[in-house]
Amino acid sequence: MTSSKKVEKPQGAYIKKGRLYVKAVFTGFRRGKRNQHENTALLKLDGVNNRRETNFYLGKRCAYVYKAKNKTLVPGQKRLNRVRIMWGKVTRAHGKSGGVRAKFNRNLPPKALGRRIRVMLYPSRI
Amino acid sequence: MSTPSAKTATSGGKATTKTTTTTVVKTTTTTQQTLAGTRGAGSKVQKPRTTAAGKKVINSHANRELNNNGLMRFSRGRMFHRRALYRINKWKGDQAKLQGDKTKKTAGSIKKRRSPALKKKPVGGDRNGKERFVRSKRLPRYYPTEERPKKFSVKRKKFSSHPRRFRSTLTPGSVVILVAGKHAGKRAVVVKHLSSGLLLVTGPHKLNGVPLRRVNQIYVIGTSTKIDLSAAKLDNLDDKFFKRVRPAKKNAEKDIFDSKKEKSQLSDERRQAQRTTDAVVLNAIKANADSRLLRKYLKSRFQLWNGVLPHKLRF
Repeated sequence: MTSSKKVEKPQGAYIKKGRLYVKAVFTGFRRGKRNQHENTALLKLDGVNNRRETNFYLGKRCAYVYKAKNKTLVPGQKRLNRVRIMWGKVTRAHGKSGGVRAKFNRNLPPKALGRRIRVMLYPSRI
Repeated sequence: MSTPSAKTATSGGKATTKTTTTTVVKTTTTTQQTLAGTRGAGSKVQKPRTTAAGKKVINSHANRELNNNGLMRFSRGRMFHRRALYRINKWKGDQAKLQGDKTKKTAGSIKKRRSPALKKKPVGGDRNGKERFVRSKRLPRYYPTEERPKKFSVKRKKFSSHPRRFRSTLTPGSVVILVAGKHAGKRAVVVKHLSSGLLLVTGPHKLNGVPLRRVNQIYVIGTSTKIDLSAAKLDNLDDKFFKRVRPAKKNAEKDIFDSKKEKSQLSDERRQAQRTTDAVVLNAIKANADSRLLRKYLKSRFQLWNGVLPHKLRF
């Protein structure tokens, strides 16, 4: 919102933004013992330990955030940035120990294995 | 263990058995009555009719529910034949005619105003017999060889007339956590439900910088904190008010060379609306018992930190 020069920003506007996503780890692709299917990623969400708890996260958008050599435009920022994002969403639970399956717009690169994935709090259902 | 007590015990036992049997009977009838009240989805619940004498009229041609599971004994087609309304209404009309009962509307009594099939039209010329009979409605000039396929009316509603549903936690006056966008993490107050399905939300701006803004329900977490906004009258705020105003298209030649982006200026209308709604909301906050806490709450941000798991939080 473009605020005019006359109106000062309220005190409450200057508080720093905190973390608004749940931490998760990309543990691997969906697979049997000898075949793997890269279109579905398996995520382990922080603090989610059984199937019942995964219900909250179904449908939530997830992001694999990474850096690249070349700078590109990031939506919402004017400066070119090295940060890039691959977006996806949590599709369903995986197993009974709180694992979750996610599908990304493009398959995750294998170098993301073991790396952080952010599971956002939207689309919210509560 | 003495005999008198045993006797009393048995008599007492007998008495109890008697009473239990009677109560059992009672309950079954009541349950039957209540179950009969619930019918299958498609069946009409018919009120029991009574004749002039006071006896119940049981229509043997009525449909009935099978075993209280929502299925009906006779299908729709069968019921059509059983009830024979196609025949009965005509019969009723004929009876009314026979009795000379003109108060009842029958198919024949409603006279259609028909214009006469032939019309007289003046014709020019001396020897043409000045007038001719002409059909008042012309016959069609084209008779298709095949029947045109009947277009059934498409009952698909336009998206704009679809019903919009709002989550029960997002009532007007509830404090809400914005979870995405520029104001992510901030807590705002739901002002209104808009007809497009969006929520109208305000900080209030003084407290946390969130303006009067439209927000989709999926980017919002509803909390249990509610502010009483029932006194507010906010009629003029609707989707039209917030719709983005795009600059009028200019000639193609000009556009190529003038690549300036016009900055969107905040209109005075918007400022006014912001001020008035914020005044209402702030008053409501003041009126609340925890007004101090509420103001601090709305100024604060929502964050996750180590050990805080949203699926375990109660919002």
